[in-house]
Amino acid sequence: MTEEIPRTAIAVYLLLAAALAVQVLVPDAPRQAAGDASAFLSVLVLLAILFTAGLVFHKKNARAVTDLFLVIAVFLVLWEVLLGKLSLLDPLLFPGPAKVFQVFASDWQLMLYGAVGSLGIMVTGYFFALAIAIPLGLYIGWRRRLYDVAYPIAKAVSPIPPTVYLPYAIVLLPTFAASSVFLIFIGAFWPILVGTIYGVFAVDHRIINSARTLGLSDHQMVRRILLPGAMPSIFSGAMIALIMSFISITVAEMIAATSGLGWYIEYNHQFANYEKVIAGMILIALVVIAVMFLFDRIQQHCLRWQQSE
Amino acid sequence: MRPERSHKEVPILATITFSNLCMQYGNNGSRYTALSEVNLDIRDGDFISLIGPSGCGKSTIIDIVSGLKVPTAGTVLIDREPVSGPGPDRGTVFQDYSLFPWMTAFENICFAIEHTGGSHTKAEIGKRAEEYLNLVGLGKFRNAYPNTLSGGMRQRVSIARMFSMNPKVFLMDEPFGALDSLNRIYMQDLLLNLWSEGERHKTVLFVTHDVDEALLLSDRIAVMTPSPGRIKEVIDVPFSRPRCRKSLGATAEYLALKSHLLSVLYCEMMGEIEHQTQNFRGMA
Repeated sequence: MTEEIPRTAIAVYLLLAAALAVQVLVPDAPRQAAGDASAFLSVLVLLAILFTAGLVFHKKNARAVTDLFLVIAVFLVLWEVLLGKLSLLDPLLFPGPAKVFQVFASDWQLMLYGAVGSLGIMVTGYFFALAIAIPLGLYIGWRRRLYDVAYPIAKAVSPIPPTVYLPYAIVLLPTFAASSVFLIFIGAFWPILVGTIYGVFAVDHRIINSARTLGLSDHQMVRRILLPGAMPSIFSGAMIALIMSFISITVAEMIAATSGLGWYIEYNHQFANYEKVIAGMILIALVVIAVMFLFDRIQQHCLRWQQSE
Repeated sequence: MRPERSHKEVPILATITFSNLCMQYGNNGSRYTALSEVNLDIRDGDFISLIGPSGCGKSTIIDIVSGLKVPTAGTVLIDREPVSGPGPDRGTVFQDYSLFPWMTAFENICFAIEHTGGSHTKAEIGKRAEEYLNLVGLGKFRNAYPNTLSGGMRQRVSIARMFSMNPKVFLMDEPFGALDSLNRIYMQDLLLNLWSEGERHKTVLFVTHDVDEALLLSDRIAVMTPSPGRIKEVIDVPFSRPRCRKSLGATAEYLALKSHLLSVLYCEMMGEIEHQTQNFRGMA
């Protein structure tokens, strides 16, 4: 087992330990003082635990896991030494890690509330888009005449950033949540629709012929043949739609919300609370990573028939 | 088998009857005739091979019988009923892409049985699918997706699916065309073994371009010629069944039939090449 783990793994532990030692032993630069560094120290310990778990549970990818954590550890040490301890850049705009992670300890309730609220809005809009775009796309892809009309429209309208609908959404819809759901729906709708239409086209005509010889009804043709056949392309559309949804929700919240992840960043920006701005950015990144991970898992499950091993 | 032969004169035993089948593609400007005046009676339980060079319309015939294509003129009768569209009363195997890649071997067969129209319970369907997977020796690969199977195994699943549907006729469009020669031998024997028994002994319409394959499998061979595609000759294959590949290939009768078939095909091919060369010269 020791042979499988790359030697650089030790470097990761050493770097994390060094970051911990420096934080404890070297005093913060005057305007970088975090007061309480326990949050940063917890993050270092957490990373060490995650890294160990990664090595144990992903033995096949030990090298990749190690390299990833090496990059994170080097980044943390540089961030800590150059900004936190030496204060080489403007301490107001570029706070050290101790100060930033302290925000998670003090603001966690507000942040959790914001994350849950944002995700709730996003998931609602996204699922509306899936529920309408996929059946519509299957139908348009199957009916040539509809496609000839729908395709130029989709091509013209889909690149419009969904946020341009925000002024109308706010005026016409009763609450911020409703207008955000609408915005995310619009942003996610087009990529899923286009992905589904392309997916239907991508189904090999020989497979469709084979299905026709069984004498399938139209309904079964769509549900059992076109939908699974178009699934790979639907997933690539849904991936783009997911990214669009993240952009839409954060921008909408920055402009018009009173809670949520985007609001948290914008609000603290107005008070020049840059450690909170950065903490908000990190939180968004974590949420995105978690959602993408989930998405990947669902995709792998739904497209397991594509793997050839 | 005159073109004017009417519906009533069809022998009672005929399962499939082609009368005056024509297939044309394109509009008036550039018409291409894929089939012209194809007439053929296929007796119940007969194994008929369509053989001929590419472009002679053999696959088009399969597509018309399976209901995927509608002929420009003429009719196909199955059990005296005209073909009006695709349906599970005809079991079809193509060269590849017969199976749905998102269903496992087992699910593919179940899905086909579900659509045969009989009122089966889920358990009955599963049992039948299992039985046919075992018959083609793939019981262990029940839950394998087609992508993970070799080309030969995929065709075995396709054949298991075709038999499990218990259709009136079997349509096979170069089912072994993409396999290596050893696999092909294995598949031919498997097909003959399965076909020779009980409810599986149904009329087969089999497309191939392999003379040995046609001679080994068929009761009759229809030799087709291209541009326009038509049946030039129907040859009876008199060998008794069960046939043994080894002893069959050595008989004088087999060799005579083979050389006759080859000479017909070869003659056609030479004619075609000549024709194309002349066209080419004409253009130049």
